[in-house]
Amino acid sequence: MLAAMQEALIAGKKAEVESLVDGALAGGVAAARILDEGLIPGMERLGEQFKRNEVFIPEVLVAARAMQAGLAKLEPHLAKAGVKPRGIVVIGTVKGDLHDIGKNLVAMMLRGNGFKIVDLGVDVAPEKYLDAARASGAGAIALSALLTTTMVQMKNVVEAVKKAGLAVPVVVGGAPVTRDYADRIGADGFAPDAASAVEEIGRIIAAR
Amino acid sequence: MTSRELVVDTLEFRGPARVPRQLWTLPWAEMTWPAELAALRARFPDDIVSSPAFLREPPRTEGEEYEPGVFVDEWGCRFENAQRGIIGQVKEPRLRDWSGLDGLRVPRERLTVDLAEVDGFCAASGAFVLAKTGARPFELLQSLRGPENLYVDLAERPKGLFRLIDAVHAFFREEMELWASTEVDALVFADDWGGQTGLLVAPGLWRELFKPLYREYVEIAHRNGKYAFMHSDGHIAAILPDLVEIGLDALNAQIFCMDVAEIGRRFAGKLTFWGEVDRQRLLPSGTPAEVAAAVGEVHRALWRGGGAIAQCEFGPGARPENVAAVFEAWEALTRPAM
Ligand code: B12
Repeated sequence: MLAAMQEALIAGKKAEVESLVDGALAGGVAAARILDEGLIPGMERLGEQFKRNEVFIPEVLVAARAMQAGLAKLEPHLAKAGVKPRGIVVIGTVKGDLHDIGKNLVAMMLRGNGFKIVDLGVDVAPEKYLDAARASGAGAIALSALLTTTMVQMKNVVEAVKKAGLAVPVVVGGAPVTRDYADRIGADGFAPDAASAVEEIGRIIAAR
Repeated sequence: MTSRELVVDTLEFRGPARVPRQLWTLPWAEMTWPAELAALRARFPDDIVSSPAFLREPPRTEGEEYEPGVFVDEWGCRFENAQRGIIGQVKEPRLRDWSGLDGLRVPRERLTVDLAEVDGFCAASGAFVLAKTGARPFELLQSLRGPENLYVDLAERPKGLFRLIDAVHAFFREEMELWASTEVDALVFADDWGGQTGLLVAPGLWRELFKPLYREYVEIAHRNGKYAFMHSDGHIAAILPDLVEIGLDALNAQIFCMDVAEIGRRFAGKLTFWGEVDRQRLLPSGTPAEVAAAVGEVHRALWRGGGAIAQCEFGPGARPENVAAVFEAWEALTRPAM
């Protein structure tokens, strides 16, 4: 049943994912197991396929919606069982930049992998990331930028975090961003696509 | 030799005396580097120009497209902008659901072109003239539905999607036919199909739903003795063979996020690359020497006695000396003696 759930998720079949989750819960499977062996591996496989250009934005979006529907059913059970998210991530597109498709895919993929997301949207000023990170107790701040002119804002956020003495790692990404650039501005992590973003952020949060 | 002849010889691979040029700018460049931009334009005049729209009735828009605040475009799409000099982004889509489809107003004002004025402009210009056609079906669908809704539509394919595609395509076809009846040299259409590393949608989906639209635009152009020019940002290597197949004459693409040498091996001599020099790394943060080397690479890969246009975009972040280096390098490469 959990294997079927993965397939339904990858195919973006929302109703099927919901009924499989219902069925599993009714059959006494623990919510955490449904998440860890059904939904999360499905999302991971999808992320890999996306990275390899085997599936594209439309497929990822419908799968993410199916994931969301499955998660909504699991959440009350997870809360009751005291299951904690893998981490809290504050995410947003930097000041002056309105591109959000990539940022949203990263957020969805993180959510689908058991992280809690605080999405600040687009055109986000440095202070806002800091405020949100403090308020949520975030384990990482994730910045997206698609323009060479707004990429420089990432440096401002990294510096603001340091200046505030906030011990939260900053991870960066978006079309023009490279590992080299991330290193140069003193960011703690970088990933070129959504699946790698989950790995990178997971690694950084787990290492703390 | 006129600019127009240079461009035609380039498109036909007839070894023009030099590579024709065209500088693209976003209002950002005019605001940030006005004097440098004027000097560039004087030093390297464009061989390719766009005809003014010459509309008898102005399109119905509200606000300023390139200023902070709200701009409502001629299709009723509401853009919210944060920064001067660049466009904004749709927050509240015009067609949140399909109920608004029947009431969708197409911008008929775009069809009130004063054809005699266009012909006069073409006759007076020695340059190769592009029509002011605005076909960009995929981007318009994204603006009307909101990008995310549209991507989901493409996966789920509700009936409304097909009605909407038909409606916008019918309008763009009409606009193409109208401009094709003038003396312009080429019809133009655009849609950004790539992200940084690949297509935004599956190539199969693109072939099924969108390729037929572009095929028709090319047909309209060719049936009327015009060339067909297309712009598409991002990594679009997967659909280059299709664009060649439908007979596209010139393509502006981000060849630098693909593999320039590989593109050359597969497509040089088959269509003209309407420029591009890496505007994400080289133009903003490279040196003039690096820019010149990149132009050399494009020339080697794509120039076959034609097949390339010296073009780049002076957009957000680009350095004026790097833009100058693009045109200097092309000029040095194609002096008649060489
Ligand atoms: C779609 C698009 C738009 C849409 C955006 C719609 C939206 N809601 O986002 C619209 C039409 C609105 C737009 C507008 C503009 N755009 Co634009 N756009 C693109 C395009 C074609 C694709 C971007 C995209 O969605 N890719 C798909 C997603 C999935 O990929 P992604 O964003 O890269 O994200 C992936 C990874 O980067 C990574 N990632 C992303 N964020 C993060 C964050 C973290 C923490 C991590 C770890 C990873 C990560 O994971 C994602 C998923 O795998 C690119 C072309 C390109 N080469 O990328 C141009 C591009 C980015 N745009 C560009 C420009 C110039 C503009 C405009 C200024 C144009 C104008 N005429 O004014 C405006 C600016 C608007 C603004 N104020 O921000 C340029 C930038 C050039 C430069 N100098 O940097 C590009 C490169 C096109 C070009 N060649 O000119 N654009």
